[in-house]
Amino acid sequence: MDSLLDQSSLFLQQLVNGVTLGGVYALIAVGYTMVYGVIQLINFAHGEIYMLGAFLAYTMVTVFGIPFFAAFILTMLICSCFGIVLDFIAYRPLRKAPRLAALITAIGMSIFLQNLALMIWGSQIKSYPREVLPPILFKTAWSVGDVTLSWLQIFILSITVLCMAVLHLVIHRTKIGTAMRAVSQDKTTAALMGIGVNRVISFTFAVGSAMGGMAGILVGLYYNAIFPTMGYIAGIKAFAAAVLGGIGSVPGAMLGGGVLGIAEVMGAGYISSEYRDGISYAVMIAVILFKPSGLIGRQIREKA
Amino acid sequence: MKRFGCFLLAWALLTGVAWADSVKIPVAAAFTGQLASFGEGIKNAAILKGEEINATGGINGMKVEIVLEDELCDPKEAATVATKLANDPKVPIVVGHLCSSATLAALPVYREAKLPAISPASTNVSIGKMSPFYFRNVYKDDFQGLFLAKYANAARGFRRVVIFYEVNDYSMGLMLAFMKEAERLGIKILGTEAYTSDTTDFKPQLTKFKMMKPDAVFIPGYAPQGTLIISQAKSLGMKNVAFFGADGLDDDLMLKNPDAEGLFVTTPFLPDKAGPQAAGFIKAYKEKYGKEPNWFAANSYDGVGIAAQAIAAVGPDRIKIRDYLASINSKEKAYKGVAGNTYFDENGDCLKDAFVKEIHNGKWVSAQKQLQ
Amino acid sequence: MGFRQLGHNPRLLFFGLLLLAVLLPWLPLGSSTNYILRILTTAVLYMVLALGLNIVPGFTGLLDLGYVGFYGIGAYTSGLLAIHYDLSLWVILPLAALNGALWGTLLGAPTLRLTGDYFAIVTFGFSELVVLVLRNELWLTRGPMGLPGISPPSIFGHPLARDWEFFYLILLLLIIVLLVVTRLQDSRIGRAWFAIREDEIAAQCCGVNLIRYKVTAFAISASIGAMGGAFYAKWFKFIHPDMFKFWESILILCLIVFGGMGSIAGTMLGALILIPLSEVLRAVLPQGLFSARYLIYGLVLVLMMRWRPEGLIPFEGAQARKARLARERLNL
Repeated sequence: MDSLLDQSSLFLQQLVNGVTLGGVYALIAVGYTMVYGVIQLINFAHGEIYMLGAFLAYTMVTVFGIPFFAAFILTMLICSCFGIVLDFIAYRPLRKAPRLAALITAIGMSIFLQNLALMIWGSQIKSYPREVLPPILFKTAWSVGDVTLSWLQIFILSITVLCMAVLHLVIHRTKIGTAMRAVSQDKTTAALMGIGVNRVISFTFAVGSAMGGMAGILVGLYYNAIFPTMGYIAGIKAFAAAVLGGIGSVPGAMLGGGVLGIAEVMGAGYISSEYRDGISYAVMIAVILFKPSGLIGRQIREKA
Repeated sequence: MKRFGCFLLAWALLTGVAWADSVKIPVAAAFTGQLASFGEGIKNAAILKGEEINATGGINGMKVEIVLEDELCDPKEAATVATKLANDPKVPIVVGHLCSSATLAALPVYREAKLPAISPASTNVSIGKMSPFYFRNVYKDDFQGLFLAKYANAARGFRRVVIFYEVNDYSMGLMLAFMKEAERLGIKILGTEAYTSDTTDFKPQLTKFKMMKPDAVFIPGYAPQGTLIISQAKSLGMKNVAFFGADGLDDDLMLKNPDAEGLFVTTPFLPDKAGPQAAGFIKAYKEKYGKEPNWFAANSYDGVGIAAQAIAAVGPDRIKIRDYLASINSKEKAYKGVAGNTYFDENGDCLKDAFVKEIHNGKWVSAQKQLQ
Repeated sequence: MGFRQLGHNPRLLFFGLLLLAVLLPWLPLGSSTNYILRILTTAVLYMVLALGLNIVPGFTGLLDLGYVGFYGIGAYTSGLLAIHYDLSLWVILPLAALNGALWGTLLGAPTLRLTGDYFAIVTFGFSELVVLVLRNELWLTRGPMGLPGISPPSIFGHPLARDWEFFYLILLLLIIVLLVVTRLQDSRIGRAWFAIREDEIAAQCCGVNLIRYKVTAFAISASIGAMGGAFYAKWFKFIHPDMFKFWESILILCLIVFGGMGSIAGTMLGALILIPLSEVLRAVLPQGLFSARYLIYGLVLVLMMRWRPEGLIPFEGAQARKARLARERLNL
């Protein structure tokens, strides 16, 4: 039964599963990494923006009957605005405050938003009814032997890659991107150079939240399970991915996401499915303790 | 601080007064949270039964008040709720809890306060033995698991099975009981994989199962995950594999999933085998709530009914009620309810029949092949 | 008047409250006495836990998000020792404290050089791993089956059963922990901690051995958490991995943020207000808004950080206290 063909099919299929999962983590991780890059804050509430994206798209499609792709774009816009508002009311007033205060605020916002969603939508897992989605997404695109790849997986992967590419272009080829890099290197000097630091930060939140929201929609689609605590668990894993790749680095987030996704799937498939979530925690701790700059991140300078 | 003082005062005042003409039957379960759909059945049926009792004059002239206590299946909340109920003199018996971990947390409180309780849904094996005050009108997991193994073998002829379980006591208890009997019957368990209640991505484990080429996948878990598992399995191309589970999968959620066609589960309650008492209940439930009752509802309805019968027989006295329940210990003395005949053994556990139902064209129907 | 004064004259207020607490079970509160006692026992347990957590972010200025891990370790140590060896609580408490200290040291040692954010994340990751182990290692902890049947503590052969007995027991534990924490605050160790909180580099320059003091802080904090857990196991007589979620760490953090991070009186006040609040809300809120209870804690964190980050009873450094005492003495 355990022929070589079977084993390699298993491995390939797990690889496909892992890369898709990794793509999702990468999208969320980008939001974390960008925000950390500019204001050195772990935005705990980012996971909730992802969750909100999933719920908003779901509500638009099922309650208001908005066609899927329109809902997609709208949700991303709303999440974007939401990120800006979040920064404005929760983090901006604490820009000069000690780090501990900002961190605690982030945690508080995360709890608040999670429970708000719980109150609004209830805790039952929501699923899209089959009818409202474009049917092509569920068809198998390619299957060789026992290994299958669906159009939905291809869709997710290509969007992820596309976003990363666009983001990379923006950060390295546009004025606002340069401003972002400047602010993340040295806020004060950037301000002295005439960069509107607050505006740049808002822009960062906007982009990061849009990607996070998009990840939420995609995940809601892929697993067809939307529930208020989904942001918490995905947020942790995506953060681990961001740290793994190197916090502050966008290509790092992508790499970290991919590696973590594959590690998680392989771990669950080959080692132990009970400790599946533990893999992310272990990776995160190991990276922070032994190589805090991550796989391709910059060296984090301490004041010492 | 002042706030707290006012609360204290108000509470003291409220609890001093006792109305002699009503009795409270609290129903403790998870009414919000992931398992809320199970709690909903319990809630609805209990309210229905309470109304029916009151419509016919209450219990010996006393009005029945069904009090809902939401403990979210959380052991801490359950213990707090239990203390609250134990200290309410108008509560002679509790119907609850839903999850075994909640029941186990509340149990010491009830035992200490000598408050009898009857659970319509907790299937963990240790409960009955741990307290002379706890009863239940649902079968235990070791029985369900055993039954499923027998059924899988005799009625379906499965020889190679994989088990996908959730890391909680209900699921694992079922799995262990199933495995023990399956081994005895010669069914090969090819592998077991775990998931948690927040897992939404089951593909890694399912892929592994697929490669093992089993006859069937046993999912001793709950419907919210069960429905995802089945859909993801189908999307991975798992054809010609049967899926089956136990009472945790017995939920309308599964009906909404077209991939779940052919899924079969054990249930203590089958409308067509339930007898004439049940017909009235099903009709009334449907009229009031617009859907068919599930077994949680049926058991809850019976639970309240048993409680009411006890109160009617011996009055709202906790010890007397407990003794009365303990005396329902044989088939002749059994309580004839909508979910079958309930009687208790010396641990307070009950022996009930199990049936099998399956999904056919998006509806639950009795499985064509039943175990005799 | 106001909360600031409360913090400054703690002794009188404290003994007054203590007296009230001791008399509480005998007050005519009707049949809800046990319910209220249970709520207050919970509140005092959280006071103990909060005092333990307070040492790390409050005294040393590092955010520990993994406190629930120690709580769980203490509870399981206690539960397992009680079930397998039938040890008495008085033996279990110190053992649990030791175990907590051990894990605190193990966690503290490698994480010292981390900055605030990373430290917080690592502690979080650690506590999640602990809970995962508790949940999955059935051979050790029975995992999700939980540990039922833990025997209650007994004094001179009489097993504690009534709610007021447990209430007195937790009060006793609170007094012990309070003594330890207040002594520490005024000791050399405490001053070193505060120095670290104010400015690590300056402290280092003054000869404070960062490693030693940070690890000590962590170990003591962990051992207090473990003792709280040990009591918890013996009180509930049943423990289950679900009782040790990340949420507990947040809740305890919320208590000290609300009351005043670093301030002992503030920490206790925070617990006294916020824990019973949850029960009051349960009685007051309609069914649908049940989750609003948790929402409030999130809101408390955000609002406190925005408008009163020092908490209800602010922490007072040694300098400030000396200045204030001097002022009072001179009647200025």
